[in-house]
Amino acid sequence: MLNRENSIHTLQNNVVQEHAGIKFQELPFMTKINLRGNPNDKKFLSSANEVLNTILPTRTNIYIKIDSLKIIWLGPDEWLIVDEKGSDKQDLFSKLENSIGSQDASVTDVSENRTVIRIMGKKLFMLLAKFLTLNLDNSLNSSSSVAQTLFIRVPVLLMRHHEHNREPKIDIFTNRSHANYVYKILVDGTQNLDF
Amino acid sequence: MFLIKCPYCGERDQSEFNCGGEAHIVRPKNPPDLTDDQWADYLFMRKNIKGIQFERWNHSNGCRRWFNVTRNTATDEILKIYNMGEQPPIVTGIAPKTPSGETSIGSGNISTSYTKK
Ligand SMILES: [Zn+2]
Repeated sequence: MLNRENSIHTLQNNVVQEHAGIKFQELPFMTKINLRGNPNDKKFLSSANEVLNTILPTRTNIYIKIDSLKIIWLGPDEWLIVDEKGSDKQDLFSKLENSIGSQDASVTDVSENRTVIRIMGKKLFMLLAKFLTLNLDNSLNSSSSVAQTLFIRVPVLLMRHHEHNREPKIDIFTNRSHANYVYKILVDGTQNLDF
Repeated sequence: MFLIKCPYCGERDQSEFNCGGEAHIVRPKNPPDLTDDQWADYLFMRKNIKGIQFERWNHSNGCRRWFNVTRNTATDEILKIYNMGEQPPIVTGIAPKTPSGETSIGSGNISTSYTKK
């Protein structure tokens, strides 16, 4: 298996860095597959459901979790499938490709496109609000919320993990080439969080 | 800056969107039959109204979907958001608001009697 370096140099090998009570981690490599197809096409839906063992989410801006998989709504006909087991990449991809590839749909391996920065901490929303135009209370209001938005100028996908009244935990999906920039800005933003 | 209510994602900042120009421009069925003037008219000529304008917008940094917007270009007030392929809402007779409340004279009048060529 390929030994991939993380995009953020100070966060290699699952290291967790803490700045002013906010913990940062860059998650190890994960399989990411972009799936597009018509949500009204029964054949497409049933083939996808069979491989993934669950129903593709049609509600906007949510994700569902099943085993090591997360299936994220990206658009009315577009999903991102994330498999924590980066090692099984070929396996999941070929399964999807075999059952859906010949239909009027697309399966694209986008694993190398984005990396995931995980941040945790009580004042997380306060930190994020410094850099986002997004209304976090509306857009990340449940433990299955995702939101695609701009972080300063960088396209990001935010994924909420924590339950209500638990310590906030958010994954930020960002292009690998932008990861260091996003990380540095976030760390800089932790400097005056204690007001 | 203003907020746009994406049909899928809800209210988001304008910076997440891109405007795709005037909506409801139909591609001519037989381009070879057109004169250069007619073809250029289809390709390049767009209305730039002070008042109510129909536009295509794309939520490019969100769900990346297209939709139509009826916007008052003088105030950025959005009157209606509707799907691609739908007919534009009827706005004839609506006097578009102006930023300081002055009467919508001059070019503003064009939009009150908006008709497609
Ligand atoms: Zn959207």
